[in-house]
Amino acid sequence: MGYLNCTGPGGRVRIALLLVALVTSPAWAQQDVIEYMKKALSDVNAKLDSALKRIDQLEKEKAAASAKASETQQTETSARLDNVEKSVQALQSAPTALNPSIGLVIDATAEHRAKTGGQFNFRAAEMGIAASVDPFARAYSFITGSRDGIDVEEAAAVTSSLPWNLTVKGGRFFADFGRYPKVHDHELPFVNRPLSIERPIGGESQADGVETSYLFPTPFFLRGTVGAYNKVGAENDRVDNEKSRSWGRFSFLGRLATYFDVTDSHNLELGSSLVYTPEVRINGRKEFRALSGVDLTYRYQPLESFVYQGFTLGNELLVNSECVERDVGCARRLSVGGYSYGELKLNKTWSTGFLFDYAPKISSPGKKTIGYSPFLTWNISEFNRLRFQFTHADDHARENKDENGNQFFLQWTTVIGAHTHGFLGR
Amino acid sequence: MKYLSISKIRRLFLFATVLYLMQSGPAFAQPIRAIATWPALADLTKQVGKQLVTVESLATGVEDAHGVAMKPSFVPRLNRADVLVLIGLDDEHSWLPALLEVAGNPKILQGRPGYIDCSVGIPILEAPERMDRAEGDLHPKGNPHYLLDPVRAKIAVQNIAAGLSRNFPQYRTEFDKNAKAYIAELDNWIDRWKKMATPLKGVKFVEYHPEWVYLADRFGMQRVGSVELKPGVEPTPNHIVDLVQTIKEQKAQLLMFGAQNPRIPQQIAGETGVKVLRLYSGGGNRPETDSYIKWIDYTIRTLVQAVT
Repeated sequence: MGYLNCTGPGGRVRIALLLVALVTSPAWAQQDVIEYMKKALSDVNAKLDSALKRIDQLEKEKAAASAKASETQQTETSARLDNVEKSVQALQSAPTALNPSIGLVIDATAEHRAKTGGQFNFRAAEMGIAASVDPFARAYSFITGSRDGIDVEEAAAVTSSLPWNLTVKGGRFFADFGRYPKVHDHELPFVNRPLSIERPIGGESQADGVETSYLFPTPFFLRGTVGAYNKVGAENDRVDNEKSRSWGRFSFLGRLATYFDVTDSHNLELGSSLVYTPEVRINGRKEFRALSGVDLTYRYQPLESFVYQGFTLGNELLVNSECVERDVGCARRLSVGGYSYGELKLNKTWSTGFLFDYAPKISSPGKKTIGYSPFLTWNISEFNRLRFQFTHADDHARENKDENGNQFFLQWTTVIGAHTHGFLGR
Repeated sequence: MKYLSISKIRRLFLFATVLYLMQSGPAFAQPIRAIATWPALADLTKQVGKQLVTVESLATGVEDAHGVAMKPSFVPRLNRADVLVLIGLDDEHSWLPALLEVAGNPKILQGRPGYIDCSVGIPILEAPERMDRAEGDLHPKGNPHYLLDPVRAKIAVQNIAAGLSRNFPQYRTEFDKNAKAYIAELDNWIDRWKKMATPLKGVKFVEYHPEWVYLADRFGMQRVGSVELKPGVEPTPNHIVDLVQTIKEQKAQLLMFGAQNPRIPQQIAGETGVKVLRLYSGGGNRPETDSYIKWIDYTIRTLVQAVT
């Protein structure tokens, strides 16, 4: 059914004519006109509603488009602003940005030993400094102050851009021997360095010399190291660190280390090392010395809960072989020692473990010290740690009274500033 | 004097060639080897590089953001990489720099072209006002968990495209085209997520570690507390008591945690009735989160389901 169009051009004239007709028409005709007008009005209303809806829709679309554009613009503007801000910050911090990272570790213990009594032992304040030298090398140093004075524990330059997977390190550093000989005291999982490391190496594997590492192009981790040094061992007083010498009286190192992920959560790390010194003079007599070691570490590191769960089982076996010159041939001295420890992470802050240490005296391998040490560690935060350790040692080596009987330690280690010993200290 | 025979020289030459190829890889065209620190970044890199790149992620996505084990098995992968794609803002500071030291790959060291830091140009939240470890294990440059905001992720995509183009300018057109297409796809998803996340507006929540700030900022959620006393510092008993009180007073609805110990969140839930959700801030590892879009979609869906 067609309707009279009242909304188009001339619509108002038509409505006026209708109104005139309404006024002048008879009653029945008026009724028809009223019906007609009602329909016309309803039609107008419907079209008006439709137009209003369309306007609403267009407005919404416009608002959405503008919001989207504004969001993109806002992000881009923020990004630009941030870049400018970063540049400004970089300029402002430029004078200090070239300063090396500096950190300080304070390591102190309260100790009680059955044979010698108690003491507060300020073990070390170790200042670490590290920075890039240029695009080709970085350098680091650890300077340690202790009751024995101030000592440069490490100060070395390391190449960062050599081709063929090579890295060269030179200066004074901890030689890449074994698992824990090259780790600073405060980074050990227990309070004291095991005597089985201490005796054959002479403390940490500190060495003045040069070392080259090669990462094999294999799908798994395989790394080899060779090095030449004056001597290995911070407290190794059999060899002088200062005098010039013939090539036969340097110490030479070789190490091969590998690692396997047994599963995502279980892994094994295996290494073997050898330090060979062709000629050592002890009491005026010539000796050659070969110190070899095998280290095996198993770790359970569940991916999802690594920060609060885990277990480590570490083992290291060291074999010291010396041949002391005699009138005819030489007398061989062989000592075999090592340690084994397990550490269980109880949660993010607490862990506990047990260390077994078997340490022969290298000058008299039949005499040995056997130590048993349970320990409990509380990592208050990443930079603040308390550790309690009890050690019972059966000492037949009699090198040091301290090393016999029951011993109690409470160690407090804190770090301020930047501090890292990198990959080797992991 | 004994001379080497021709066959021996050949063998030696062959051996030297094999060694050289093992070392440097063949010279003919092969996919660009990208290493990403997290699976979500690996997916974004794949979206930009498509068939031109192969991407591997070091972390699987379920690890604690700052507690990825420093595995030596990452070293050969970093050694062979052409580019390294990372979150930046010191997110990977506890494990990545030490690995790079031994990876023997100068191309991907910080400051080199292969080091693609996705945080460049990201509008940062929670940049510390005071640099002091008394404030916890701070990120000096700001909160690094920006990938949880899909709008900011668009900047990361642009950074990846720029980084890949910087290293392989011959493919710039492809990278730009792929990045644009992916950003357009993300835009569609962002519209969808905004509608989907309407119930999250105004929802009060507690997090274990400050890693949800960008998501909350985008979808209008309101953080009322953290389980950690300070970032990276485990809570003291007093802090838990205070937090329980806050949750009750503020009527917090959710407690979100990831790779942290669930014991404390469960204890708090027991005392307050707050709903505990384990959500990961790294993506990956499960079929429902094995791409960036799936990860964000799953995260928002889970949050919405929890509050409706």
